[in-house]
Amino acid sequence: MILSLLLSSLAAASSDQGTSTPNLFALRVGRAETVSKGVIEHAVILVEGGKIITIGEDLPIERGIPVYDRPEWVVMPGLVSAYSRYSLDSEGGDDNSPEVLASIELYPASEELRKIVETGVTTLGLYPPGNGISGQAVAIRPLGETKEELILRDSAYLKILSRANGASKRAIKDGFKKADEYAEKEKKAKEKWDKDNAKKGSEKKEEPKAGEEKKEEAAPEKGGYVPPEPEPKAKPFVDLRAERLRAVVSIQSAAEYLHFLDAIGEEKFPWDLRLPITRESDLFYVLRKSEFELDVDGIGDKHVRCIMEPVLSVMPGTLRTRNLAKDVVAAGGKLAFIPRGDSFNDHRQWLANVGEVVSAGLDRNVALRAVTLEPASVLGVEQRLGSLEKGKDANMIFYDGDPLEASSRLKAVMLDGKFVFGEVKL
Amino acid sequence: MRSKWYSTLLSGLLLSAFSLPTAAYAQEAAPAAKPADGKAEEGKDKKKADEDRWLAVTNGDVYIGPGALLREATVLCKNGKIHKIGHDLDLPADTKVIDAQGMHVYPGLVSPSSSGLVGNTAGDFADTIDPFNRNMVLGLAAGITTTGVGNAAVKLKRFTIKDAQVRDRAFVTMVWSGRNPQGKKGLREKFVSTAEYLRQYRDWEERVKREKDLKEPAKKDVDPGILMVLRNEAYARFSANDRDDLLGIARLAQEFGFRPVIEGCTEGWTVADELGRAGAMAILTIRNQSPKDETLVRAGGSSIQNASILHRAGVPIAVVPGQDSVSLDGIVGRDIQHITVEAGFAVRGELPDDAAIASITTIPARIMGIGHRVGSIEVGKDADLIVTDGELLHYNTHVQWAIVDGKVAYDKEKEMFFAHIRPRKKSETSEVKLDKGETAPKPEDASKQDGDKPADGEKPKEGDTPKDGDKPKEGDKPEEKPKDGDKPEEKPKQG
Repeated sequence: MILSLLLSSLAAASSDQGTSTPNLFALRVGRAETVSKGVIEHAVILVEGGKIITIGEDLPIERGIPVYDRPEWVVMPGLVSAYSRYSLDSEGGDDNSPEVLASIELYPASEELRKIVETGVTTLGLYPPGNGISGQAVAIRPLGETKEELILRDSAYLKILSRANGASKRAIKDGFKKADEYAEKEKKAKEKWDKDNAKKGSEKKEEPKAGEEKKEEAAPEKGGYVPPEPEPKAKPFVDLRAERLRAVVSIQSAAEYLHFLDAIGEEKFPWDLRLPITRESDLFYVLRKSEFELDVDGIGDKHVRCIMEPVLSVMPGTLRTRNLAKDVVAAGGKLAFIPRGDSFNDHRQWLANVGEVVSAGLDRNVALRAVTLEPASVLGVEQRLGSLEKGKDANMIFYDGDPLEASSRLKAVMLDGKFVFGEVKL
Repeated sequence: MRSKWYSTLLSGLLLSAFSLPTAAYAQEAAPAAKPADGKAEEGKDKKKADEDRWLAVTNGDVYIGPGALLREATVLCKNGKIHKIGHDLDLPADTKVIDAQGMHVYPGLVSPSSSGLVGNTAGDFADTIDPFNRNMVLGLAAGITTTGVGNAAVKLKRFTIKDAQVRDRAFVTMVWSGRNPQGKKGLREKFVSTAEYLRQYRDWEERVKREKDLKEPAKKDVDPGILMVLRNEAYARFSANDRDDLLGIARLAQEFGFRPVIEGCTEGWTVADELGRAGAMAILTIRNQSPKDETLVRAGGSSIQNASILHRAGVPIAVVPGQDSVSLDGIVGRDIQHITVEAGFAVRGELPDDAAIASITTIPARIMGIGHRVGSIEVGKDADLIVTDGELLHYNTHVQWAIVDGKVAYDKEKEMFFAHIRPRKKSETSEVKLDKGETAPKPEDASKQDGDKPADGEKPKEGDTPKDGDKPKEGDKPEEKPKDGDKPEEKPKQG
């Protein structure tokens, strides 16, 4: 008994030097919304070095490990706000600049940025300003001394504003045309390299045959061939095709969905949709192909992920509410929520707003996933965060009740295994 | 895919060449009945891709031209074209049927101009079409299925952005105004030089056959628009109301041998003979009023008889409402939604009924150079139909269905705008899909039908349908099928 006490105090003392949260500790909470593996009652989470080591129901905790015992709390993964201009300047310009990186705008010392964790947001996706194809977003953790510390993933997605007009559609087509040109160039370069290589091979033919065969095989592996670097404006589209980059395509109306599909034609690349929900949004028209005899697959048929605000809309021309988020999911689409706006308050109200949509019929688990794991995969960091799972970053937020209940309070926020908000004592 | 001899047989009006088509049909129907179980799903999907799309409007009074009405007839559409019109038609399996019992069937209306129904501007419109636009629904509710957008002719196709344009450059817009004498002079000079070029070109065309080295005449001072007009590729469209301007246009047209389309034409009734002789066509807004210029002795100003006087003088009349967009401002009934009301006012001014109907169907279609595709119900034309619950020009009449390219684009009961006004009786709402073999009277087919029936019957009516419907498409069908099964007796009524 005495020994264990001693040990725990030792552990606490050793980690107290840097921050108040120890390096290795256990959390015991009333309930854990893991998002990926359902709900765990009486959950115990073991965290070390900013990662979740293990999570389970009523796990025994080894003696000596400091324990945060909060049976009245509910824990869920930190919120991921994937499509935002939070803390950045207002938007402007309509140039097509797919090569621009939002990360150049980052300012680690920004007070506003540091403050965002108080809302429960532990991951932000910031996109570059402007209309058209404005550039590539960056996924960040909001706290860090340097840019490098902030950035989780640069080039997280390419932001495309697709509108129902010729210029917008042309911009998309032109982008892929540039990628075509590059592919042509690359092909030629490869052919040339192959030829050169073959020459070299023939020069070396005097060598014994066995050795030669080996060399020819080995040459390409060694990286003798380096594909030419694409133009900056072509590169994002080359990356899209190679599925190294996702696109987030913003459309406002059902018609723009059809026009976007028309613009991309046969082109295949990973894309999510950003659907700003207006009061009389008509996007329900394009959810299912069968419902309105569309001549293309609907959003649901394609299982597209839709990034939208947690708001209810109405049937056009009426006062009947329509829960588009629910409709998207029912049709087969995926859902990622973002706050209603980019301000601090919007982020603070975020979960409460999601709660409203849930009370209007959206599945609760889908809703929780839509603020964590789904936006994480928009940013391409879903392997690393977005759910409470073994091996993932210890980004967690703690409520004194159901997180979707407006009366619940955010008690604490943990970012990479450190409490960054809330008075939490062992 | 049907063979040619079959389609020619089918298109024989009224004559029910009964045995042969049925035999052909049975040949087709046989494979359809085959897939019973197992891999039936796959087979069905594959078949659907190359299957024809059928739609029939049955039992309606079909307006097939001036003074010609087919009572309780059926219009059968195949793949967006009118396939056959008549009585006692054999409807292929999977025909979507609209029962127009007690209703009228008219060609979809054509408006030579409109704004906001389809897309934005003329040049860009293909990239701006909004097939979910509320104004498009309202346009269809008004019966309009084709409209001019800028210089293009466009269909009000819903749920798709493809193939909406019927024709590009349907008009060449020209200005001829007394307020701008310089402009008149300039236009005439352009006509002179273009006509001269055309004369030289035609001459060269003949001679080059013999002398191969002959140079093509230079396109000096040639206006491409005027060239189109003189080559009869598109009509010249003027906007003019003043009598002097109208006369000037008529003379220009006669001098250079083209047919002008004159929008406005308020004082046309004062020079109707001259316009008729010049082959002019007019786009009128019947209720536009303007006073006579009292400083002049001659007749002038607007007249409610304008349309009828011009019509009698041989000027084809198209009618458009005062405002070319859907609008709620000003006086009720003057926007594009009230195109039939506007035409009705022409009848009030003595224009014959048929000419008034033509003024919103065939004539505007002809003016836009798309008369071969839209504007009337004829075999081979586009399946653009409207089903109304009364006479087209009556103020009481509502459009119940609008069909564009053989697809239902508007159903009054399904859109919120007018569904609550005089809702259709239950018996009239039946929009059913024919089951396999339903139309075939032969005992063979009847047995087939029986064979199918239990399979359909086994599928529970509702409740369970979403379950087996991973694809909602499949889920929809079983819901409808039992309906057909319930009333197989109703169908033979057509016979």
